[in-house]
Parts: sequence; structure tokens; C-alpha cells
Amino acid sequence: MDKEKVKKIVLDIIAEIAPDEDLTDVKSEIRLRDQLDLDSMDFLDIVMELRKQHGIEVPEAEYRQLESLDSSAEYLFPKFEAKAVA
Amino acid sequence: MPEARRTSEALDGHHFEVVVIGAGMAGLASALRLAMFGKSVLLLEKHYVVGGLNSFFARGGRKFDVGLHAVTNFPPNGSAKVSPLIRLCRQLRIPFEELALSPQSFSRVAFPDVDLRFDNEFSFFLSEVERLFPREQDRFQKLLRTMEAFDAYSPEVAGDVSARSILGEHLQEPLLIEILLCPTCYYGSAVENDIDFASFVMLFDAIFRQGLARPLDGIRRFLDPILKRYEELGGKRRMNLGVKRIFTKNDKVERLELDNGESIFADHVISTCGVVETEQMLSSASADVKTDDIGRISILESIAVFKEQPADFGWEETIVFYNDADFFRYERPYELTDPRSGVICIPNNYRYPEGEQMPEGQLRVTCLANYDKWVALDENNYRLQKEICRKAMLDVALGYLPNGKSIGKDLEERTELLDIFSPRTITKFTGHLDGALYGSPRKSRDGSTPFGNLYLAGADQGYVGIVGAMLGGVAIANNRILRGD
Repeated sequence: MDKEKVKKIVLDIIAEIAPDEDLTDVKSEIRLRDQLDLDSMDFLDIVMELRKQHGIEVPEAEYRQLESLDSSAEYLFPKFEAKAVA
Repeated sequence: MPEARRTSEALDGHHFEVVVIGAGMAGLASALRLAMFGKSVLLLEKHYVVGGLNSFFARGGRKFDVGLHAVTNFPPNGSAKVSPLIRLCRQLRIPFEELALSPQSFSRVAFPDVDLRFDNEFSFFLSEVERLFPREQDRFQKLLRTMEAFDAYSPEVAGDVSARSILGEHLQEPLLIEILLCPTCYYGSAVENDIDFASFVMLFDAIFRQGLARPLDGIRRFLDPILKRYEELGGKRRMNLGVKRIFTKNDKVERLELDNGESIFADHVISTCGVVETEQMLSSASADVKTDDIGRISILESIAVFKEQPADFGWEETIVFYNDADFFRYERPYELTDPRSGVICIPNNYRYPEGEQMPEGQLRVTCLANYDKWVALDENNYRLQKEICRKAMLDVALGYLPNGKSIGKDLEERTELLDIFSPRTITKFTGHLDGALYGSPRKSRDGSTPFGNLYLAGADQGYVGIVGAMLGGVAIANNRILRGD
């Protein structure tokens, strides 16, 4: 697992919940909301899918850590690592 | 909750994480959302079909939709993402294409001396307003800006601001105000002679800014994929089984008693029965219902089926909202029905894919009706009055269609099948007291009740239309149960 893989996981989830979005040119450092048409319901789905598919918990107060792919990778990477060790 | 406990509860069949009461559009949408994320869900429906007001029925070998005239919020060309319908498809993971929606031809709002046309291009609607009310241009633009700045979908929005008064503050020609109120009230107002401003904005956008559409197969195009997904995910559903009592203890729902005497336990309960209807089920309910809170808007709808396509008569329009006076009365009539105003729907006139069409012509006419008067009739008189009122309604409605009066003369002989549903039918399908089409004037936008684990969804959330009802159900599932879980 590395941070690029974490970004890929998040992008795959977005592809699943918003199949009408074009994800070919998503910039890692830019807020997802600023380049894609995602709202708070979609972000809830990203959180719900992280839990369902990967057993990763994101408390509501920390949803904003997922605002870009870079911030998602920073925030989620240790959680994936902890999961791998456990 | 530990996995093992959840499984044993589901097997037990009497304890669920969530019980959803009512399999109408809101109930179905919330149940599916919860099942998608592994909740054990039981969906209870009193009737023998799903869909609630947007259900379907069979007569004479034909299938009819109960409530569906038009699916609103059809995304306009090139700006698909702005529509709440696209949001809904994402949330339910149902591809938009699967709904197979076909856009309307055009529709009309017909008042004496004014006939405003609109289709799914908002610019056409704007040009019609400009053509008919040239002096209102600047004021109308200002109204549009007020509406754009208003977040009608916000759970915190005030639900009791009068649209009539806000329109009055912006516009000077009373007729334009009535023309804007007529379609929006008919498609979703639970209050008489007005509509709350949030619902007005939602419906204005849903009807004019976005647009009208329908699947060739009708409402089952929505219901079937939802049910299929829900069942694939292991969601449970029991039909012909209502809730008799909701037992509460210490500000929480403890247990549901079903009509057959069974007890069901739930961590969360979502009731789509309506605000007053739900209160009446509470074990703590006081005997006297606040009748002010029961909705007064109900309808009579007639469906005529004939061999010809309506376009053969020169009837090309999809929906006509009509009113015979300069003032639009939207209230419970004194008589059984009030034929002076209503809605015509010609479902054949959606632009279905090349070579596809409904096999027979259909003309649906809806007028406001008085529930109490319809309930007071004995069976013979009920049948007789349905026929008398149908004829009176049709007579007026035909006057709003091209050559309608002359074509109408022998329409009776051409008619293959007639069906009518009354306020009594609405109560049968929806369980709403008084056949209230859009529920109670008292809305609970965020679904909250005095009980911590009981939430309202559906008509009495105040999200309007099929898309609104379903998004409301989704919002309750998301905000009350999934978020922060």
C-alpha cells in the first residue's frame, strides 16, 4: 500500500458513485468539489464505501480531510497501514 | 453493532435495525439506501402494491399509473447535473438511462385570454412570459434572482413562507401570479390557495427550469429497479400489513404492533404515513386529532382510453393546467368536485423513442374534490356521482383542447374504458387521512419527531414530486441513520 494506491481507491469509489463524472483529468492537489460536481451526499457515499469495502472508519468531524485526493491520501494512508498490520 | 447480533436479529425476523413504514416513493428510497450499506431493514406496506400515491393498477387488461402525470426535474440538455433527479440516481445507484425517460412535447397553462406554453427549454418559457407580460420583464427577472438565491432544499429552510405574498412583492400583474401558482399548487401544495415558498421554488425549477418527462412503461420503470436492488441486498418487505400501534417509552420507540398482532422491534423507525397519521399510531396519542393539521386538498381523476392517438385529433400537448377565471382557486370545493379548474394529462404526447408509443390514447383529467362529501355517499350514489362528476369535468376540460368540444361529442362512443378515482381511492393507496393528496400543511423538513429514534419521511417532509419524495427519503436515511453511525 502506498499513497498513490490510496488515491486510486478513492477515485474508484467516486467512479462508482458518480458514473457520469469524467475522472480522467482529476488533479490531486485541487479540491474535488472544485473540479467535479460532488455534493455532501456524494462525500457521505465515499465515507460509506470506505467502510463497506475496506473497513476504514472516517468520523463525521473528519469528512473534510477527504476534500482533495492529496489530503485523502495523507489522511487515509495511516488508516490503511494500521489495517494491514492488524 | 456486532455482526453476530445483527445476523441473529435478522433471522429472528422480529428485530431490525430499521423499520420503514410505507412503501411509497420515500419509503422505498430510504429502505434501499439503508440496505445498500448493510442495515437490516424491514419495509412494511399496508396496501398490496408498492408506490403509494405513485402506484399502479390494472383495469380491463390494461395497466395504469395512479398518480403519475409527469416525472418532473428532467435534466435539460447540456446541464444534466443540475437536476435533483441526477442526484437521486447517484444516491440509489440507478443509471439515469435505466429510467428510460422521454421528454414532453409541450404543455400549457390556460387562463381566460392567456395561454402560456412551455417545454423543456427554459428559454422558451421565459420568452412566453415576456410575450404575454412584457411590462413585467424586469420584475420577473428580479423574482428569478430571488428564487436562485433561495436554497429550497435546505433542511433548515422555513416551510411557512407564503409564495403568494413573495410573488406579490415582486410582480404587479395579478394574472401572472395566478399563472405561476396554478401549476405549482397542482403539483405539490398541501395548503389552500397558496404554496409555501420553498415548495414553490422547488416546483418552479422542477417544472419550468428542468422539465417534464415520462417512461413509456410508466411508474414501474422507477419501482422495478428499486425493488430489485433492495431485494438483492437482502432487504425485507411485507405487504398487506400495516402498523396498528407504535409503543414508546422514555422518548423512544420501543416496539411496533402490526395489524396482525405481531410485535416488531427496531433501533430506528422511519414513518412515511404522514405527520398526523403517525401521531395517531402512537401509544401515547391523545384521542382528539388536531384537524387543522389534516390536509384539505384532494382530487377526482378520470381516465378515458380510446383507440385513436390523441395527436390524430390535433391534441399535441402533454399537460394543460387550466382555470376558468382570472383568480386561481386552490381549495376544497363546497361541492363534490369543482370542474372549473384542473389538469389535463395526455401521456401519449411524450416524445417516446422512434417507433414506440402507447397502444391506445389516454386522456386524464384531474379536478379538486371534497373528501367529506365523497365519503358521505352510499355505494350506489358513489358510483352515480363519479359518473356525473366525470362528465362535468370532461366537458370543461375539453374546452381547453383544440376542437375539444366537437371531438368530445363522440368521444364517449369511442371510449374503450373509463376509470375514475376519488378522494376515497387516495386514502386507500396512501393511507392519508381525508384523501389528502399532498399530506398535511404541517411539514417536518428534517423529519424530526419528539421521539429520538422515530423520523418522518415522505409527503409531510415537504419535498415535492416523485423526485422530491425520494430525495426526502434518502435524506432521512443519510442524515438520521447513516451519517455519524
